[in-house]
Amino acid sequence: MLHRLRQPWSDRRAELTLGALACAVLLVIVLMVIFVANEAWPTFQHNGLRWLLSGGNVDEQIGTMVNAGAKPPAADYHLRAWPLVWGTILTTGMAVVFGLIFALLASVFIVEFAPERLRAVIVPVVRLLAAVPSVIYGLLGILVLVPFVGNHIISAHDKKSVEFIVQLSGASLLVAVVILTVMIVPIMIAICVDALYAVPRGWKEGAVALGVNRWRAMWTVSIRAARPAIIAAAVLACARALGEAIMLSMVSGSVGFAPNPFDGPRLFLLEPLRPLASTIVEDSESLQAPAVRSTVYAFALLLLFSSLFLSLAGYLAKQPMKKYGVRI
Amino acid sequence: MTTRLRRLGVCAASVGVLAAVVPAAAQATPVITMSGSTSVAPLATLLAKAYVKSHPGKVKFKLAQGGSDVGVADVAAGRVTIGNSSRDPKSSDPGGIFFNKIARDAICLATNPKNPVADLSQATIQAIFAGDIRDWSQVPGATATGTIDLVGRTAASGTQDAFQKIFMGTKTVTSSIAAKASNGLVQQAIQSDPNAIGYVSLDFVGGTNAAGYNGVACNLRNAKSGEYGGVRNFWMVTRGRATGVVSAFISWVQNNAKAQAIVGKHWVPLK
Amino acid sequence: MAVTQPRTLDDLPHGGFGVDASGRGGGRVPQRKRPRRESMADWRWGDRIAYVLCWAAGIALCVIAALIMGYMAVRGVQYLKPSLLWSHPSGEVDQSDSGGFLDPIIGTILLTIIGIVIATPIAVAAAIWVVEYGRPSGLARMVESGIEVVAGTPDIVLAIFGLALFQHGLFGWMSFTAEGGAVFGRSFLTAGAMMSLIALPMVFGATREGLQSIPGHVREASYGLGKTKIATIRRVLLPAVRPNISTGAALGMGRIAGDTAIVVILLGATLRLEKEGGIPGVDVLKGTGSTLTSYVYNNSPAGEGNAPEKAYAAAFVLLLLVVALNFTVDLIARRGAKTGLEGTRLGAGR
Repeated sequence: MLHRLRQPWSDRRAELTLGALACAVLLVIVLMVIFVANEAWPTFQHNGLRWLLSGGNVDEQIGTMVNAGAKPPAADYHLRAWPLVWGTILTTGMAVVFGLIFALLASVFIVEFAPERLRAVIVPVVRLLAAVPSVIYGLLGILVLVPFVGNHIISAHDKKSVEFIVQLSGASLLVAVVILTVMIVPIMIAICVDALYAVPRGWKEGAVALGVNRWRAMWTVSIRAARPAIIAAAVLACARALGEAIMLSMVSGSVGFAPNPFDGPRLFLLEPLRPLASTIVEDSESLQAPAVRSTVYAFALLLLFSSLFLSLAGYLAKQPMKKYGVRI
Repeated sequence: MTTRLRRLGVCAASVGVLAAVVPAAAQATPVITMSGSTSVAPLATLLAKAYVKSHPGKVKFKLAQGGSDVGVADVAAGRVTIGNSSRDPKSSDPGGIFFNKIARDAICLATNPKNPVADLSQATIQAIFAGDIRDWSQVPGATATGTIDLVGRTAASGTQDAFQKIFMGTKTVTSSIAAKASNGLVQQAIQSDPNAIGYVSLDFVGGTNAAGYNGVACNLRNAKSGEYGGVRNFWMVTRGRATGVVSAFISWVQNNAKAQAIVGKHWVPLK
Repeated sequence: MAVTQPRTLDDLPHGGFGVDASGRGGGRVPQRKRPRRESMADWRWGDRIAYVLCWAAGIALCVIAALIMGYMAVRGVQYLKPSLLWSHPSGEVDQSDSGGFLDPIIGTILLTIIGIVIATPIAVAAAIWVVEYGRPSGLARMVESGIEVVAGTPDIVLAIFGLALFQHGLFGWMSFTAEGGAVFGRSFLTAGAMMSLIALPMVFGATREGLQSIPGHVREASYGLGKTKIATIRRVLLPAVRPNISTGAALGMGRIAGDTAIVVILLGATLRLEKEGGIPGVDVLKGTGSTLTSYVYNNSPAGEGNAPEKAYAAAFVLLLLVVALNFTVDLIARRGAKTGLEGTRLGAGR
C-alpha cells in the first residue's frame, strides 16, 4: 500500500488534495465565526444589542455573573458594556491616528531625508521593533512608565477631584496610548517605506525637475501615489491595536470605567480603562460560569466583526483610487 | 532485505513498543488536579509536596488557581478532582459537592508601612470601604494625608466573600475600589502606594503594615487563640464524598501530625 | 573587449568609461565632488516645519528603539544569572529567589516547533493550490481572503475559539480528560494548533509571492519535457521557493514565540511541564506547561508572582530569541536571493 502511495500522483488527485487542504483553512474560519457566535448567543438573547450601551457599572455586572454559579437566572445576564467598548475605541483610535502621523513622517525621513548611514541603521531597527513581543512592551510599561506617571504626573489634587468616581493610579489612558502607538508604528513604517520606494522614480524626478522642493515632491507625488498602501497600513495597525490584549491589560488599569473627555484633557488622559480584549483575558479564568462565558464570547464576536469590517472598509476605501492608475 | 520489508519491520516494531507501553501507562499513578483559591494555593502546594514525599509513587498533583468560585465550579463540573475554596458554602453553589474543612486563616487589614495605622474598628473599616470616609485625615491613627486608595479583590475571590461577610456585614463595598486578582497583587499594590489600604490573607502581609481589628493585633498567635475576629475557613471541595486516593489525601491533611504542622506555619490548624 | 550595454543611467560608470591610450579600461576620470545640497532658503514655512518634523520623527524612532533595547539589555544583564537558564521553576509563593525558567524556555521552543510544523505543510499546500491550480477562481479568492481574515483576527479571539473548540468531547485526545467527563481542552497540542493559525498567513504569503515570481517559461519548459503539473511542482517549483518558505516559516516562528494571549488561555498555566498520560513523548504534548511569554506575564505586577527581576531576565532571554529569529530571517532572505532561482541552472540563462 505504501508502494501505491509513492507512485507519481495524477494531476487530478493532487489538485483535489491541495484544494481540500486550502479549503480546510477556509472551513476553520467559518467554524470560528459559528462557534463564537453560538457561545455568545445567550448574551444577545437576554440583552438584544443593548449590551453595547451604557448603564450601571459593568464590573459589578460581570461580578454578579461570576458569582451566579452554574445556573444563572435571566436577570444575571444583564450587561451594559459601553465602558469597555468606549475604552477600545479610545485606545485604538488615538493610537492609530497618532501612529499614522508619526509613521508617515518617519517613512518620509527614511526614504528621502536620512543620510545613507543612518538609513542603513534605521531599517533593521524598525524591523526589529516590529518583532518585539507585546509582553515585553507591557513589562516595560508596567515597571517603568506606570510608576513614573503615578508618582510624577498624577498629583494628589488630581486624585481628589475624581475621588468619588474612580481611583487614579499610574495605569491610565496616557500610558496605554503611548505604548500602543510605539507598538504599531513599526508595522506602518515598514509598509509605507516599501510603498514609497515602489513609486516610480520618474514621477518624483519629474516633480523635482519642475522646481518643487523635496518635501513637497514627496507629499504631492509619492505619498499621494502610495495612498492605498497607507490605507492598508492603517487597517493592519488598527487590527493589531484592536486585538492587543496582554499589553493593555498590564498598563491600562483594569477598571471597567469610561474615561470622560468632559473631565478636562489632563484628567481624561489619566483615568484608567479596560479595552474589550483585555477584559477577555482577565475574565478567561471564570469562563465556566455560563453568564460570563456568553459575555466573553460576545466580546470576542464584536472584535471579530470589527476586524472583518476593517478589512472590508480598507478594501472599499482603496477602490476609488484604482482609476488614477495607482497600484492597489 | 528490500526497503519495503525493512520499513514494514520498523512499523511493526514501533507498534509493538507502543502496545507494550500503553498497558503500562494504564496503571500510571493517579493524578489529583486542584484549582481554586489563590489564598489556599500556597498551603495546597506545601501539602501536596509533603504528601508526595511521604507517600512516593502513590499519586501526582496538578495545581491551578483562578479564585474560589472558579474552583467550586470546576469541581462541580468534574473538570478537577479538588476545588480549593477560601469561602464558606453559598446557597448559589452547584449541587452535589462536598466541602471538607482543612484549615483556618486570618484576614488582615493592611496599609503601607509609611502609614502605620495601629488599629481599626469595624465601624471605621465599614465606613472606609463603603466610601463614606474618603480621606486619611478622618481616620484615627493614620499619618498619611490625601485620598484613601482602596484595594480589594475581584468577584471570584473567596477572600473577598469572607471580607464581605466578616468585616462588612450588610454594607456594600464601594464600586471605585481597585479589584485585584490575587493576594499577591493586593500586597504589591499596598506596598507601592503610601495611601493604600486593603485586605490580604495573613500569609501575605510581608512588607505592609497589618492593622489590628477591634483592638486585637492581626498575627498567627491571636488567630490560633481565637481572639482575632477576622478568621475564615479553608475548604477542599470534592464532587460528592471523597473516595480512593482523594479521600486518603484529604484525611491525611486533616489528621496527620506532619500535615497539621505545615498548616501551623502560617495558618490556623483545625485542632 | 565586449562592453555590456548599460541598462539604466545608473549603470554608467561615474567618471566616463575611462579607456586610456592603450585601449584598456581602468583609468578613471576623477569624479566630481558630491553635488551641492539644495538650500532651504526658498522653501515655504510649512514645508520647513514638515522637514523638521520628519527629522524629529526619525530621531525619535532611533531614540525610542535605543531606549527599549538598552533598558532591556541593562536590566536583563543585571538580573540574568546563568543558573536561571537551567533550573526548573519552583512553585513557591515568594518567587524572588527560587527556581529558574528552564521549563518556560522548553515550552517556548516546543510550542514554536509544534505550531510551525502544523502550519507549514498546510500553508504551502494552500499557496500551491491558489497559484498553480485555483479552480474555481471564486473559491481561490475566498481562500485568499479567508487567510487574510485569519491574519487580521486578534490572537485573543483565536484563543477563545480554540478553547470552545477543544473542550468538545471530539478533541479529548488532544488534552486531559477529567473523571467527570469534562475535557480540559488545554495542552501543548491545542495551543500549538491555534499557534499554527497565527503562523499560517506568513508562510502562505511568502510562498505565494515566491511562486508568483517564478517566470512562466520555467513551468513551460518542464511541461515541454513531458512532466505532469504535480511533478513540476514537486521537482522544479518547490525547490525554487524553498528560501521563501524558510523566510515565511522564520517570520511565523517569531510571531509564535512572541504570542502571549493564546498561551495564557490555552496552555494550562502550570509553571512546570506537566505530562499527561503514559506514552513518552505524547505525554508532553498532551500536558500543560508555560512559555517565556506567560512566565514574564505571570511574574510581572500584572500576574501572580512578585518577582520583577525574574520577569526582566526572562524577557531578556525572550528578546534575544526573537532577535536571533529575526537575524535568521535576514540571513535566509539574503542567501536565498543568491541561491534561489538565480542560483539554479534555470536562472543562469536569463
